[in-house]
Amino acid sequence: MLGVALVSPLALWLLATIAYPIFSLIRLSFLDVGVIGTGGEFVGFENYQRVLNSRAFWPSMGRSVVWVLGNGLLQTVLAFSAALVLNMPFRGRALARTWVILPWIVPTVVAIIVWKWMLGTSGGIVNTILLRLGVIQEQLGFFSTGNSAMASLVGINSWRFFPLLTIIILAGMQGISKDLYDAAGVDGASAWQRFTNITIPGLKPVLFVMGLVGTLWSVNIFDVIYLITGGGPSRGTLTMPVLIYDMAFLQYRLGRAAAAAVLMAAAVTLFTIAFIYFLAPREADDDDEGWQ
Amino acid sequence: MNSKHSRICLTFLGLALFMLALVPAQAQDAVEIVIWHMEQPPQRVERVQGLIDEFNAANPGIVVSQDVQSWGEIYTKAPASVVAGNAPDILFAIPDFTPIIRELGAVQPVDDFVAEIDETHGYFDVGIEPYTSDGHVWAIPLWNMAHAIWYNIDDLEEAGIEELNNWADWANAVEALTGDGRYGIGLPANRNLYTDQVVYNFMINAGASDLYNDDGSLRFNNEQTVQALDFYGQLSQFSPPDSPSWAWGEAEVCLGSGACAMVNQFAFLRSYEANGGDPANLGVMRMPVAEGVEDPGTISYVNAAMILTDDMAKQEAAYEFLRFIFQPDNYGLFLNMEPGLFLPITESGFESETYWSDPLVVQYRDQLETVLDYSRSGRLFGFTGGQTFPSIARISAQNLLSQVGQLVVVDGLDGAAAAEEGEYLMMEAIE
Repeated sequence: MLGVALVSPLALWLLATIAYPIFSLIRLSFLDVGVIGTGGEFVGFENYQRVLNSRAFWPSMGRSVVWVLGNGLLQTVLAFSAALVLNMPFRGRALARTWVILPWIVPTVVAIIVWKWMLGTSGGIVNTILLRLGVIQEQLGFFSTGNSAMASLVGINSWRFFPLLTIIILAGMQGISKDLYDAAGVDGASAWQRFTNITIPGLKPVLFVMGLVGTLWSVNIFDVIYLITGGGPSRGTLTMPVLIYDMAFLQYRLGRAAAAAVLMAAAVTLFTIAFIYFLAPREADDDDEGWQ
Repeated sequence: MNSKHSRICLTFLGLALFMLALVPAQAQDAVEIVIWHMEQPPQRVERVQGLIDEFNAANPGIVVSQDVQSWGEIYTKAPASVVAGNAPDILFAIPDFTPIIRELGAVQPVDDFVAEIDETHGYFDVGIEPYTSDGHVWAIPLWNMAHAIWYNIDDLEEAGIEELNNWADWANAVEALTGDGRYGIGLPANRNLYTDQVVYNFMINAGASDLYNDDGSLRFNNEQTVQALDFYGQLSQFSPPDSPSWAWGEAEVCLGSGACAMVNQFAFLRSYEANGGDPANLGVMRMPVAEGVEDPGTISYVNAAMILTDDMAKQEAAYEFLRFIFQPDNYGLFLNMEPGLFLPITESGFESETYWSDPLVVQYRDQLETVLDYSRSGRLFGFTGGQTFPSIARISAQNLLSQVGQLVVVDGLDGAAAAEEGEYLMMEAIE
């Protein structure tokens, strides 16, 4: 009984903050609610049917997948590169390790304003530099097409988040025994072999958590996209969170937005289950870990 | 503590309790009016506060306060506040925002008060119509805003361009002005209100002002709209490549920096001045008109105040405050919270000494008089033809006009395909 009593405040807190909102969302998805706060009639699965048949839903799902993959890939590359550099001994390393986190702590709105101006064509520094270097002959419109806007947004978002991943990977790297690298060096392993056979296996638990949490973070990103492109141009960056916002607060179709949110949550849950099932580090992996 | 100290302490305590007792008594007696407006820049908030302070001082029985909101959030926040029962007493609005709040049953008809202001101060013709539907007026027009073509005079002079009479002249001029790092025109193609406005300006001047037929059905997909969209796509080739991500600010910077020869915009005098613009080089003209169109015009937004409170005492207090605002001297100060951008909507305001004496207004008087002239024949999508259909709120809230503009500029569709898709999107939005 004491155990139950000790756990119950936390259980109640979780019920209030997680279970109730989820229940509320699912309930809303079966109602014909327009403006937030107003009532609605029970419409069964009509909201789901309309969402699944709408022109915007499946393309937005696809863009969310592109968004997650793009961010995952770019952030991993950037974070690994930065972590490898910061793991090497050099003068000023302590300072660099501290300052690498800077993009992550800059408020999103500030970062967005700065990037928008930097990438603009009315005196934006990126276009100016590229023109002066002769890399381009006329100004680039970083947000002028769906593809270029998506690529630019992925770049900006990755710039914001890779420092956090860098710190996580760096912490993981420092947990790998230096003896393994020394032994590999004695055996004549190249830098690439040391990276693929010691560093990567040693980071498996870290990479697993990073992959799972990073994906969940990425898929829910709304602010960067909405503040820069609003889902445009021409719906080219209309990912699921932006579509759900549009449905709820611009189309005033809260019930349908709830249905879209439930479908998105289901997709993310399925991904999470698959990710854990196929990629979770197992004891056998741990046994195999290290230089062979 | 000796008895003398005790007496002093008790005296102070007594005074403090007496004053505390007075404060709620005063607050209970006064009628409190809360205004929500979306004029966020500090100088606007300060100017409104100055007028509120003056009013409160002269009217001890009324306490007016302002609560500043943002246009980005108000479409969400205001309906939620109405449903939650904590809506403001006065809520500023634009025509397509009003139906959203009206649908919730929260807006009070203001026919008598608007008639009173019309009689006392003389509303311009464009003022009341956007807020009239179902036999009532639903908001009190406060000011107008109108678009025009703003250009750098020296750019046009260098290119030998004198007059743009029609779209053919305009297209030739824009092409001639493009080159040497300069774009002939800055045309937005973002999904936002700014692009809605510019696309609609093209529609007006192609003869496609009306979005609805008389019976409320859509008439977006028509020959004139197609012509407007095709021309929009044609001119956008001479616009900066990042214009699909523009809002108003980027257009202002583009003209001010000389990167654009012309833009379609409201009167952005303060930012032009702040960016070191030369008043003598700032030209303004009406948007050229397509061949054969006899009724040119420009988009204009009449901003207004909705009365949400159903308490009669509060309604009367709100009217009293608005009567104070409409007094010509106060009205001039009120409009000049953003000189140039906010244009008078009443005859007495048009003649107000305080309106014309603002230093920025003095400096740009010629340009402003031109825009004021245009504003008096302004129109707004969904509010033409003498009828208002509430479904325009859904079309506007989703920025569907700008989405259609993007189909042409970003996706490369021709006007016909974009107009067809646009009508489909509008039907979907208002179903």
